[in-house]
Amino acid sequence: MLIIDRVTGLADRVFATLAEVRAATVALAATVSAEGRDLRAADLARLRPLLYRNLGPLVVGLGFVALPGLLPDAPWYLEWWQYDPEGPPGQFRVELDPAHPAFYDYTRWDWFAAPREGVERSLCGPYVDYLCTDEYSLTFSMPVHAGGAFVGVVAADVFVRSFENHLLPALKDAPSTAFVTNAAGRVIASNTARWSGGSVFRGAPGLVAVPVGATGLSLVVAE
Amino acid sequence: MGLADSRLAVFSPVDNTARVDVVIRRLADAIALELLADGEQLPSELELASQLGVSTVTLREALVSLRHLGLVETRRGRGGGSFVRTPKPTEAGARLHGLSPQELRDFGDHYAAISGAAARLAAERALDAELVPLRRTLADMAAADTPAELRRLDGRFHIEVAAASQSARLTREEIALQADVGLLLWLPYGPADGHGVACAHRDIVNAIGTGDSETARTLAERHIQEAVERLVELRLLEP
Repeated sequence: MLIIDRVTGLADRVFATLAEVRAATVALAATVSAEGRDLRAADLARLRPLLYRNLGPLVVGLGFVALPGLLPDAPWYLEWWQYDPEGPPGQFRVELDPAHPAFYDYTRWDWFAAPREGVERSLCGPYVDYLCTDEYSLTFSMPVHAGGAFVGVVAADVFVRSFENHLLPALKDAPSTAFVTNAAGRVIASNTARWSGGSVFRGAPGLVAVPVGATGLSLVVAE
Repeated sequence: MGLADSRLAVFSPVDNTARVDVVIRRLADAIALELLADGEQLPSELELASQLGVSTVTLREALVSLRHLGLVETRRGRGGGSFVRTPKPTEAGARLHGLSPQELRDFGDHYAAISGAAARLAAERALDAELVPLRRTLADMAAADTPAELRRLDGRFHIEVAAASQSARLTREEIALQADVGLLLWLPYGPADGHGVACAHRDIVNAIGTGDSETARTLAERHIQEAVERLVELRLLEP
C-alpha cells in the first residue's frame, strides 16, 4: 500500500542517515583508541562535516549524544547540530552541569533511554520539543556501541509537519478514513479532521490498525 | 494609517527589527526560566551571533535592549564581557508598582485562557507516558527547599502541562507569559503557601490523568485567577 511505502521510505531514509553517523562515530572511537587515548569531546568535532551535510528541511537536528561519563573532559555531552534555513547549522547548547538548577538530564528522555535499553530503531514523539526545537517534533534514534559497550546514541529530529507533508498525497488518495499513529496511538498524519494530528486513537468501531513494518507506527484505516 | 499606507507598509523591505526582537525574546525567555544562570557569562558577541544565526549588528542591538531591561550586564576590561542578571524579587515589586490593578486583571485573563486551554487539551490528549514528567515535577516540588527552586519547578510544571496539550503554539505562549510575568506572580506567595500550590497542581494532574478535560480546564484557570487576585490585592495595599 502506498501510504505504508511512504512511511517506511521516510523512516528508512532517516535511519540510514543515523546509521551513517553511527558508523562514523564508531570509526572515530576506534581511531582514537588505536592512538592509545580516550575519546574526548573535541574529537567529536570531526563528525561535523557529515552532520552538516545531512541537515536540511527534513532532518532539522542531528548528532551524537554521549553516555554520561564516557568523555573524560565532558561528563555530559551532546555533539548536536540544528538546521538553519538562513545560515550555517547552529550547535545546540543546553545546561549540562548537574549542579545547575536548569541541568538538562537527557538520559530521562525516551530517545536516549530506549536505545540504551537495546532498541535498535526507536521513534519518539510526536511531542512538543520545548527544550530544543520549540516545535512539534519526532526524534529518531539508534544505539552506538564501541569496544563492545554502549557509548551513547545517534539521533535525528524531524518536524511533524515535514512527516505529515510527505504522507499527505498518499493519505488523500486513500478511499476513506486513513491516518498514521505512533505505537501509543497518537495521530501523526491524517486525511480527516475527525482524527487530527495530536489526538489519540484508542480504537473505534469500523477502524482497524495495521502495523507499519518495523517502525512501531500503525496505519489506521476503515475495516 | 489609511489603507494605501498599510499596503505600503506591507510591501516595505523587512528591516532588522524583527530579528532583533526574536533575539531579545529568546535570551529574555532563557534568563526568566533560569536556563541561563545569574552571573553566567555569555559567549563572545561573535560566537553568540553565529550560534543564533544573526549578524553581530543585530546581536548588539538586542544586547542594548537587554541591558536596558536589566537582564544583561556588560563589564569592560580584563575579565569583561556580557553577564546574565536574573531579576530579583525586589525588582518584581517595583514592576508591580508600575502596573494598574486593571492591567493585572487583563494579564490574568490572558494567562488563564492559555493555561485553561492547555490543561483541557492535555486531558483530552495526554498519554500515560506524558504524565510521568508531570508527576516527577510534583515530587520535585514537594522536596524543594528554596523559594527560587519552587518558582523554577512551578514554571516547569506549567510548561509540561502545555506540552502535554500537543500544541507547540500554546507551549510557546506559556513560556513567553512566564518569562514576562512569572516572577511577578510569585510575589504574593510565601513559604507557607507551598502546600496549597502543591494541592492545586496535584488536582490538575489528576484531572488530566483521568481525561476529565472540563475539570482540568476549570482547575487550571482557577489556579491562575487565584494567583492574580492575590497580586491585585497586593497591588491595592501599596500606597
